[in-house]
Amino acid sequence: MQSSALTWLKDNLTFVVLIVLVLAISIYDHTFFSASNLLTVMADTMTLFLMASGVTLVIMMGGIDLSVQSVASLASCILAVYLPRFGAGAIGLAVLSGVASGFFGGLVSNQLRIPSFIATLAVSGVVASAAFYISGTHSVNIPGDLSAVYLSWAVGNFLGLPCEIWVGLVCLVVLNAVLALTPFGRLVRAIGSQERAVLASGIDVNRQKLIAFTLSGTMAAIAGVVMAARLGSGSPTLANEFLLPAIACVIVGGTAVTGGIGSIWRTYLGALIIQVVRIGMTFVGISVFAQQIVFGLLLVAAVAITMDRSKVSVIK
Amino acid sequence: MTIPDTAVPVLELAHISKSFPGVKALDDVSLSVRPGEVVGIIGENGAGKSTVLKILNGIYQPDAGEIRIGGNKVEIKTPRAAFNLGLAMVFQEQSVLPTLTVAENIFLGREEEFLRLGFISKAAMNKAAALELKKVHLSLPPSRRCADLTFAERQMVEIAKALSLDSRLKGQLTILLDEPTSVLEAKEVELLFSIIREIRKRAAIIFISHRLEEVLAITDRIVVMRDGKVVADLPSKSATVKDLHSHMVGRQLHNEYYREARQSKPGDAVVLEVQALGLAGAFSDVNFQMHAGEVLGIAGVIGSGRESLARCLSGHLKPDHGHIRIAGEELRQGSVLKASAAGIGLVPSERKVEGLVSAMTVAENMTLAALPKFVSNGIIRFGAERKASEDWIDQLHIKTPSTATPIGSLSGGNQQKCVLAKWRIAGVKLLVLDHPTRGIDVGAKEDVYELIRDMTGEGLSVLLLADTLEELIGLSNRILVMKDGQVTASLDARAGAKPQQLDVIRHMV
Amino acid sequence: MLMAAASAGTGKLAAVWRVWAPLAVLGALCLLISVFSPNFLTVSNLLRLLNSASIPMILSVGATFVILLGSIDLSLEGIVSVSAVVVSMLVANDVTGVAIGLWAVPLAVFLGSLMGLINGVLHVWLRTPSFMTTLGVGFAGVGVATAVLQGVTVRISDQNFRAISLGRILDVPMAVWIAAVTIGIAWVIQERLRLGRWVIALGTDELTARHVGIPVERTRIIVFALAGAFYGLGGVLSAAQFGQGNALIGQGRLFTTITAVVVGGTALSGGSGSVLNTVAGVLIVVVLANGMVLMGVPPFVQQGVQGVLIITAVAMSLDRSRLDVVK
Repeated sequence: MQSSALTWLKDNLTFVVLIVLVLAISIYDHTFFSASNLLTVMADTMTLFLMASGVTLVIMMGGIDLSVQSVASLASCILAVYLPRFGAGAIGLAVLSGVASGFFGGLVSNQLRIPSFIATLAVSGVVASAAFYISGTHSVNIPGDLSAVYLSWAVGNFLGLPCEIWVGLVCLVVLNAVLALTPFGRLVRAIGSQERAVLASGIDVNRQKLIAFTLSGTMAAIAGVVMAARLGSGSPTLANEFLLPAIACVIVGGTAVTGGIGSIWRTYLGALIIQVVRIGMTFVGISVFAQQIVFGLLLVAAVAITMDRSKVSVIK
Repeated sequence: MTIPDTAVPVLELAHISKSFPGVKALDDVSLSVRPGEVVGIIGENGAGKSTVLKILNGIYQPDAGEIRIGGNKVEIKTPRAAFNLGLAMVFQEQSVLPTLTVAENIFLGREEEFLRLGFISKAAMNKAAALELKKVHLSLPPSRRCADLTFAERQMVEIAKALSLDSRLKGQLTILLDEPTSVLEAKEVELLFSIIREIRKRAAIIFISHRLEEVLAITDRIVVMRDGKVVADLPSKSATVKDLHSHMVGRQLHNEYYREARQSKPGDAVVLEVQALGLAGAFSDVNFQMHAGEVLGIAGVIGSGRESLARCLSGHLKPDHGHIRIAGEELRQGSVLKASAAGIGLVPSERKVEGLVSAMTVAENMTLAALPKFVSNGIIRFGAERKASEDWIDQLHIKTPSTATPIGSLSGGNQQKCVLAKWRIAGVKLLVLDHPTRGIDVGAKEDVYELIRDMTGEGLSVLLLADTLEELIGLSNRILVMKDGQVTASLDARAGAKPQQLDVIRHMV
Repeated sequence: MLMAAASAGTGKLAAVWRVWAPLAVLGALCLLISVFSPNFLTVSNLLRLLNSASIPMILSVGATFVILLGSIDLSLEGIVSVSAVVVSMLVANDVTGVAIGLWAVPLAVFLGSLMGLINGVLHVWLRTPSFMTTLGVGFAGVGVATAVLQGVTVRISDQNFRAISLGRILDVPMAVWIAAVTIGIAWVIQERLRLGRWVIALGTDELTARHVGIPVERTRIIVFALAGAFYGLGGVLSAAQFGQGNALIGQGRLFTTITAVVVGGTALSGGSGSVLNTVAGVLIVVVLANGMVLMGVPPFVQQGVQGVLIITAVAMSLDRSRLDVVK
């Protein structure tokens, strides 16, 4: 059996890695370790975190959601297009599109018994088409005055901290509460650990899966809204580059693809690590392009480390 | 055909022992097969037959003893190695791949024989396959896909695969047939026997089956195993089914062990009614009733259909026809959700896979089947949950540091008690126990027996598939015996007038 | 209606349907489109169609082997990019001084198989699911391609090289000939090489395959490398077709490839399907796209249609008798 120190290290590896990285970069560049800089980093990470937070639930359950980037893009388009007409209602509409997309993905996966990665890949295509359609295939501007009225909760500052941090914090707390306090939260973990046992205990597993996918879509839509607010425009390809980093956040954070363990906190830490690694690489002079290589390999390494191989007899 | 006593055995197991954590699967097992001999191995579930096969197949390594082929000691590390040494196995679980052709299945992994300039010559492979198919009297085109074959035809292809070793082997061939007739009709069984009689000239054969009449008909010698030991090795000519039964059966019953004194009479209320239930390939035309507070034991070997019957009741399997009524209400079949909502719970044989979520705590596992009871306003009431689990920990004497301990760290017996507690918290009417004492120590077993008496005392009904016949007889009020998918007997097992094991085995094999 | 078709998963009729369905669907599609658009069944349109199907055909045929294993390959866009970029920089172009002519082709294909090898090795040695390893490698691949280019687009001036795609024999584009030969090679591998038979065995029942002595790990790695070679060839043809090498040349291909394989009838769970199924699947996808263009449907709708297509195809090919846990 491992010593308790080693066990502690394994459980908190993410946190340790993050601290080490921050310290390493601070040694290289003293200005990095300032309060304002660290806050900026945290704020920048928020949109990625928002996208990844819903996916965390799906991955904890043992599935995956490959549609989050399309859902976020769709939400940004809906927001930009309908804000002039419906005002605050456009925000609701955008989030609703995420709810519907997630629900649809879960339904397809459940009822047609299709593995989640294919179901969500397919839904991603459908949603992307919808995004192109609504936006007229180009990006749509959000006028500044409208933004000031309806979207000030997402941009700007509040009580000295960037708004994004508040939004992210609220989501973090709420989702954490759901995971820790609700029956759904417990079942997410249970289904990811040992789905057959949960089934045999008479639980409606399909319904829980549906809820998880719906939440994933919802959070992706919220992320899309915040992204659009920050950028001042919505576009059908807005979040396209965020799919892999979003999944990487979850896994680097310590949630295993084999399901059953993980938390929203970990995803946030994972997002921070991704962000800090990116900053670090830029500092050291690795080109933006080469950074992608690093991320790709980082993802593979993270999965390999966190995976629980005792659960999978044949690895396909 | 007489076989000289001095002939060197083709295959010999000498003093083989094998242990697993908590159980000695094989204890000083010795048996041998001489050239041209057909040896049968019989024994109850858990007697050690499948462990012997797995050792011969290279999947397990013996802890002690030797395997000798043609008199020479060998070590078998992989199934392919076993094959190369001349041990050809035909298993119960068919390993014929449906998307490949007959020829491809026969020569799977050995295609290099048919390579011409690096490419597989289908013509050559099919020609060779046709020769093998002739040996088993199967007149199929070798190029047919196995998905289009019947169960029986697939079984013959498997046997052809084993026989194909014959002309390609330098030494002696031993063919091991594991329950080869379970999917065959009477006519096909006859065919198989005639094939066996032909090939015995070239190979030694081991024939494992629970159908004792068949074993007596086709074998020269019969080895009886019980509790991991060889208890008899007798010539088939002079043996009778009764002799075999008595060798298969073991200890005397200790009625104290099964708390027979606490066995109560069942109530009058009919809790479960099963009518004309059938599932293709498993069982057919099953009818019975269960009363409140009754323990109904189902006896049968693997392939008798009892496991499928149990899983039809729990909702895991959907029967093809028939009715299941629980407390008078018709049950929607094939749905675990509906079954548990109707008050049927399953304590599964694979505890770690289906019974518990190992990573969750004791309390979380116990409330899993009744979560809504512990939720208010959408939040879990942790206090109530902890109290409920503490109550049951007390009541069932579950040894655990606390309610928040991960259930995976408890011993098997204590885990099982948690599973039982889970269903009691959920308030079930009928509990299906599938091998409930498998893998738990003696002390914990007795606790489980007490529990069963407690539950039935309170009016809960139990459908029991037990590990051993002894346990089944000791615990049950009534026993249904199944064989090859049919109910062959219904025996009264009231306290003080328990049937003998022989009485039950008579209908099982 | 979908559900009814989906639940008809077992039985002789369903088995026949499963084999002939892709061709039937293809035929029905062609008929339907020619009703709406008389231009469809002209020789020039059909040639155009086959031409646009060439690269997807090569990619999908390569991916078929991976899917037959029961795995998935999400790296093909990355491998196509790397191959296209490298080949464009090795033939006469406006950025590098190198011009090794057609020798660049086998080099690029080899590079593709090398990346595929990395896929396989990571998957087998790290015992990590293929969808994760290939996702990472694919992503890294696009990164490599982008890094090598440093934001520049390479324009190819070697006309011999471009003839690989644009040239014609008997008035049929070279790309189509190359695709046809590729299909032939893939067919031979699947049917006449042990590798092909072992792939199907592995995809059906790994345990049995291992027991009969099939080298499981080695086969897995080789299959990924093989697929990588096909993607490499696809990258070469892409570069020849567009006359340039850029890192986004493979974008969007993944979706189309998986759709084609699934629609063709090869099961995602492995062990069932064939290269010929994929050929039908690619044609269906391409015909559908061609038809939509002819009917004036906007391009972005195609993604959505493909999404619906995947869902329909997988749902209809489902084997309902296996009540396994679906993740």
